Amino acid sequence: MASLKDIQRQIKSVSNTQKTTRAMKLVSTAKLRRAEELAKRSRLYAAKMNQVIAEIAGRIKCNKVGGIDNRCFAEIEDQKTVDIVFVTADKGLCGGFNIQTIKAVKKLLAEYKTKNIKVRLRGIGKKGIEFFKYNEIELFDAVANLSSKPDKERSDNFILSSIEDFKGGKIDGLYLVYNGYKNMITQELHVNKILPVDASQFECSEAEKSLLEVEAEDEEKMLDALVDRYVQYAMYYSLIDSVAAEHSARMQAMDTATNNAKEMVKSLNVQYNKARQAAITTELIEIISGVESMK
Amino acid sequence: MDKLKLEILTPNGVIYNGEAISVTLPGEEGEFGVLAEHSSLTTLLEAGVIDIEKEDKSVESVLINWGVVQVDEKKVIVLVEGAVAIRGDSESAVAKALSDAKELIESIKDNNPAIATVSARLESAAQNLL
Repeated sequence: MASLKDIQRQIKSVSNTQKTTRAMKLVSTAKLRRAEELAKRSRLYAAKMNQVIAEIAGRIKCNKVGGIDNRCFAEIEDQKTVDIVFVTADKGLCGGFNIQTIKAVKKLLAEYKTKNIKVRLRGIGKKGIEFFKYNEIELFDAVANLSSKPDKERSDNFILSSIEDFKGGKIDGLYLVYNGYKNMITQELHVNKILPVDASQFECSEAEKSLLEVEAEDEEKMLDALVDRYVQYAMYYSLIDSVAAEHSARMQAMDTATNNAKEMVKSLNVQYNKARQAAITTELIEIISGVESMK
Repeated sequence: MDKLKLEILTPNGVIYNGEAISVTLPGEEGEFGVLAEHSSLTTLLEAGVIDIEKEDKSVESVLINWGVVQVDEKKVIVLVEGAVAIRGDSESAVAKALSDAKELIESIKDNNPAIATVSARLESAAQNLL
């Protein structure tokens, strides 16, 4: 049995851990609230953006012979290379948050390998990058310190090279994998196909409104510019969403850790009391047997 | 006079949401004004200043770096990448907005001749506020 001092030391160490985890939980709660707010405000923009794209794309699709003449909206049958962009956290201690994303990426990698499609892996977030480096899986591109502090400009520049490669025909698809925020206790894994945009979802809108005539070429040009922004925005939004999810995951993990520590202190205390009692009993027996032998 | 509903949205939130008498936008093919009952139109915007004439006849300016606008009879929705509203209650608040705006202009990299006029427009908008 461990000595009294050992148990005492253990109790102290566990309760210190408990203090840390509780503090981390509080920090994450505060950060989560901010991240959630940002994501909420941002969603408005997303809804309108989708609406505008859908309207223009729908109009071109229905009015022009041959449909939309843009690679970003075409169905590419013979895929050769695809980009997979994944977003993980920069820090750990958030339960299965990063592992879930990594697993999804690994699954995709295996899937494309059987289909003989080359994959360029582009990573955001230290944890994911470390994992793939450790397992010697090649990363095409890696960016750290972006997922903890989403920055529109950096994320735009990061994803722009993929967009350009797509338009230039170097890649035939763009996927975005990240763990998003659903509510305070659940995260939701997203595997989104960003490019090519699924054109079948656009419907012809009834021309009920009075419409200023716009040249079809202008619309194509506009759509082209919009697609860039749309993809860039999807990237940025995934970062914001991922931050919110990260904090909610950490909050939960730290809450569990605090509870576990509490349990452990409790059981250690019982152990400590038992050990103390045992020591007293032994001492008493020693005294009594000493007295007995003197008689 | 009829009013139109105006919304200016950025990826980081709403810049303006309210009613206006007219709004002037820096379209890709030139500046254009929109009043209520304007026919539907969707077009790209380039870097410039959006002037919003509000119900009390005061004018508010918002600097943008890129955007797309969707106009229909009732409302105008402007989606922009980056935007700074030139407004404030005090001189220092206006000055702060102005310096933010200048920063935004500098971040626009292409050598658009429109940019120079934008700077001038900004200054005058700020002057009017004070």
